Order: sequence, then C-alpha cells, then structure tokens
Amino acid sequence: MDFEGFHALTEIDLELEKGLLVGLIGPNGCGKSTMLKCISKIHEPTSGEISVDGTDISSMKPIEAARLVASVPAESGPTFGLSVMDMVMLGRYPFVDKIWWENPEDESMARKALQTFGIDHLRRKRVSLLSSGERQRAMIAKAYVQEPKLMLVDEPTSHLDMKYKLQVMEYLQSMAKADMTVMVAEHDISLMARYCDLCIIMKNGKIVTIGDPKEVIDEDLIRDVYEVDSRVGLDADGEIYVLPKKYIEEAK
Amino acid sequence: MKYLYSEGKKDGKPSAFGKFIGLLKKGYRKMKEDMEKPPDNEEGEIARKKRRFRVICIFGIIMSLVAFLISISISSGGVIPVSEAFSAMISAISKGGHDLNTIELYIYQSRLPRVLSAIAVGSGLAIAGCMFQAVIRNPLVDPYITGVSSGAGCFAIAAVALGVSIPFMGDNVLYMIPVAAIVGGLIAFGITMTVAEGSGGSAINYILAGVIVGFAFASVQTVFLSLAKDNLTDTMWWLYGSFANITWENAWLVFIPAMGISFIAMLWAREFNLFMAGEEQAKQLGLNVRRFKMTMMVVASVLTAVCVAFCGIIGFVGLVIPHACRMALGGDHRLIMPASVVLGAMLMLFADLVARTALSPIELPVGAITAMIGTPIFAYMLMKKGREYNG
Repeated sequence: MDFEGFHALTEIDLELEKGLLVGLIGPNGCGKSTMLKCISKIHEPTSGEISVDGTDISSMKPIEAARLVASVPAESGPTFGLSVMDMVMLGRYPFVDKIWWENPEDESMARKALQTFGIDHLRRKRVSLLSSGERQRAMIAKAYVQEPKLMLVDEPTSHLDMKYKLQVMEYLQSMAKADMTVMVAEHDISLMARYCDLCIIMKNGKIVTIGDPKEVIDEDLIRDVYEVDSRVGLDADGEIYVLPKKYIEEAK
Repeated sequence: MKYLYSEGKKDGKPSAFGKFIGLLKKGYRKMKEDMEKPPDNEEGEIARKKRRFRVICIFGIIMSLVAFLISISISSGGVIPVSEAFSAMISAISKGGHDLNTIELYIYQSRLPRVLSAIAVGSGLAIAGCMFQAVIRNPLVDPYITGVSSGAGCFAIAAVALGVSIPFMGDNVLYMIPVAAIVGGLIAFGITMTVAEGSGGSAINYILAGVIVGFAFASVQTVFLSLAKDNLTDTMWWLYGSFANITWENAWLVFIPAMGISFIAMLWAREFNLFMAGEEQAKQLGLNVRRFKMTMMVVASVLTAVCVAFCGIIGFVGLVIPHACRMALGGDHRLIMPASVVLGAMLMLFADLVARTALSPIELPVGAITAMIGTPIFAYMLMKKGREYNG
C-alpha cells in the first residue's frame, strides 16, 4: 500500500504485508483517523495512490473497493432500530447481487461471524440496546463478513473495560492471522505493543517511525511524540508497558 | 358478518362478492397461521424476514380492502350494505361509467376516485416521510422538511389571489391550484437543495435550509392570504387538506404517480438500511452516498408535491407512520416501507371517512382528522415501546 500527499497527511509512503496486525499510534489530531478514512474511500485523498492487493483502489468504484477494504468506525451513532443481524448483514451489501433479499450463503456467513464473536444470542436485539462491548463486537462482525483483504479499525477499545479490551484485540489478532491485514488506530500504547506485529507512530500528519513495537517504543519516542515524560519498561513476561508520568509544559 | 354471507349466495352459487369475501377469509387464515407460529429460535433470519414481509402484505391487502369497502358504503348521505356497494361498484366499472343507476353513479362518480386518491396520498406521504427520515437520519423529519408544502401553499394561494389562469387549460379551476402547487413545491425544494448543497450538504444543513425556505414561503403565503380574503373558501380546503375536489379526472393524476413512486422507491430498501449505519459506513460499504441522497431527496420531494397538489397539506401521516412501523418492526426498510404504505393508506382512508361523515353535511379538513385519530394510537405505542425505541 502506498499513499502520499494529503493536507492532513503528508509524505506518507508505506507498504504492509498480508497477515499483519498493524498498530497506528499518535496523539489526537495527528491524522490516524484521516488516514484510515482515506484508505476506506470515505475521504478522497487530494493526491497519491492507495493500492490494496495489487490494485489501485482510488480509481475503483466504491462497491469494488468495499470488497477489499472494511472499516470499523470509532463511533457508530444512532442506528434507528436496526437489529444486530441487520447490522451484520449490511457487511454483505457489496456482494449481494439481488435487489431485495440476501442469499442463504450470506446469512450463514453472518451467523458464523456472530457465533465467532459470541453475540449470536443477541442477533434479534436492537443495536441501540447493546452494551459498548457487544456493540463493538457487532461492528467488527459486520466488517468481518465483508471478507476484506484489509480491515481498518478506529479506536476499537476506547469505551471498553479491561476484559473486553483484551478480547477485542484477540479477535483482531486472530483475524490478522486468517489472511487479512488489520490496521488499528488506538491510544493504549501498552495494549498495542503487546498485540501488534508492527506499529506506525505518527505525528502532525507524518510518520515518525515504523517497526516492531518492542524496538521502537521507548521513553524518548513518547517524549518526542506526545510531549509527556513516561516510564517504558518490560514486565515479568517480557511485555512492554508504558506509564505516563508527567506532561511537559510548553514553556519548558 | 352473517349478513354478508347470506348476501354472498344467490341460488346456492357464490356471487362475485361471496367469492371476494372467500378470498379475504383465505388470506386472513394464512396470515393468522403465519402470525401464530411459535417463536422459533432456529428459524433462519431471512426466512423470518420473508414471513414477516408476507404477513405485512396479506394484512395490508386485507385491511385496505376492508377499509375500502367500508369507505365506499358509508357517506354523508347514509349507509348502504357493503355487499350492495361492492356489486354496485363492480357493475358500474363493468358498464364503464355509462348508464348508471343512482347508487352506481354515486359510488362510481364521487366515492371511488376519492377513496383511491386517499389510499395513494396516505401511502405516498408515509413513504416520503420514511425516505426523508432515513436519508437525513433524523427522526423528527417529515415529508415537508424540504419546504415543499410551504412552496406549494404559497403558489397555490398566490394563484387564487391573483386569479391566474393557465394557458391551454382554459379557466379550469380544477387544475389551477394543483399546477401552481406542484410548481411552487418544486421551486421551494430547488432552493432548499441549492442552499443545503452550497453549505456542504450535511443532514443538519438540509433541515436548516428547509426550515428557513419554509418560513420564507410561508410569510409570502400570508401576504397573499390577506389579499385573497374574499375567496378564502377556495383555498382553505386546500391548506388543511381535503379530498373533496377529487373526481375521476384528477384521481388518476394522484393515484398513478404516487403509488408508482412509492413502490419503485421500495426497490432501494437495502440502500436505505445502509444509511441507518451512518453516512460514512454507507460510503465505505460501497454506496455512492452523495448521488443516492440527492436522487432520493428529489424522488421523495416529487412524491410529496404530487400528494400535496390535489389534496392539500395533510400533516402527521408522513411524520408518524414511519415511526409506528419502526417501533413495531425494527429498522429494516424491507419491512417498514411496505408497512408504511399499508398503515398510511389505512389511516388516510379512515381519516377521510370521518372527515366527510362526522359532521355532515359540513366536511372537515382531513389533515386535522389524521392527527386526531393517529395521536392517541401513537401515544399508546410510544408508552409501550418507547423505552427501547430511540428514533
């Protein structure tokens, strides 16, 4: 995947391999979401090229791109009475050629996704009545049935408690292993360092560094990107943790 | 009911009416069977949807036919038996509207066109409301949100006040208000669209643009209303909605476009569902959101303009019927659009029935009746289901 030249994002040039869970880390407003939205064709980049699976998606019809790229939004807003099943079935929209009803295969695929993410018993419930954790899993299931080559996930764990945070990350990891690249924008650096194969650190619309989280994340980087003093260390299992300590005042 | 059946048989053979009632009964049994199926957790989701869709269709056809029969047999002039009204209608239609006796003439000339246009306007407004609510993603939106009604009202009143006549149509008053209304409605919609698109085309800007354009036309309308105070009766019926001026000549002009557009719009039910997940998600899932939104706005506005042109501004239906359907059936437009057609048509039929019989010979504005009948029903639903319903 290559992309370069945005107003919110500039000089971005990167290539990702299949089967990776990629973390996108950076302060608020650094262009993480914008980048995800550009790749999923929600925003049109002013210049540059984005290709997925060897094909340039910027010249593709939206429906063709939707068969390659799926996205899980950060906030899903009101859903007007859609049931969980309805929501997951929306993910099959790019593939259904009929006007009115979906095919039985679409249904069995959606049911399988619901079972995988443990929300099959909720399928007739309205999305608006779900808890944040259940809702997030429904949105991931929706993106999953889209059978994408590249899945973009924007802040999947922002409203979740510890258990669901881990659970969601594990789902994403298992999806990455199943022949799909998963790109996650997230603020919890320790969580990202633990699960991601690769992490991209961004600041002011530019990529600061790319690499294995264990190698790139250190106290200097956090100070540089977030303007925060922190302690970065390894726990007993050899996992990285990041403890923010004090923000650096601008006068300093 | 006994009365109907005894009427239904002549010389041991079922009459046309008897057969008709038989069909209704069969449909009702089928629907009951479908509805009373025990909740089955293993039933496939598409199969379940299709079953519910079938129930809506059968229920819709039966209830509208029943409402239709009641409607043609009751009038300010009195009540005639349903079977008599039915056979009079059939014989009038088979005679092609010529050489009719009194009852036939009455049913054929005054009730039938009225009832047909009530069905069309009821379902048209409900579908238009449903489309606008989905596309703008706001539950408080109704078909008049883009200023169609105010523009139509303004031009209609202006035409009466200024005594405009339409070229090529002579001085045919029957068409003057409708043509002015359609033109005005579409002009107002055009202005709303221009302002909203000029400001970025977001949903909330559509609402704001529609509201201000509505205000502008409403104020101009007030000016014309004070100019035309001598022939207010010509315009009052229109401003509050009425089917009194419907004859065969114009009933088709309402019925065919309104029903046609309503059914065609349903083909995009799945695309409307995409909007429920949010505009960005719809875009990401492969819908050309901007084009779809514009097209559906135009379609829904034309539909509204057609409904408003001949029968005036009838409120409530377009706002509340889609909500009632969503409360009962969830968010899938493949179910709520057909259900809106059915409920909209039925509410309008009953409202028209009440409007022309309640205080006869005075005819009440139907727009007032729709709200009077609908509000208590809707309030009841809201109290029952409101807790789990959020738009």
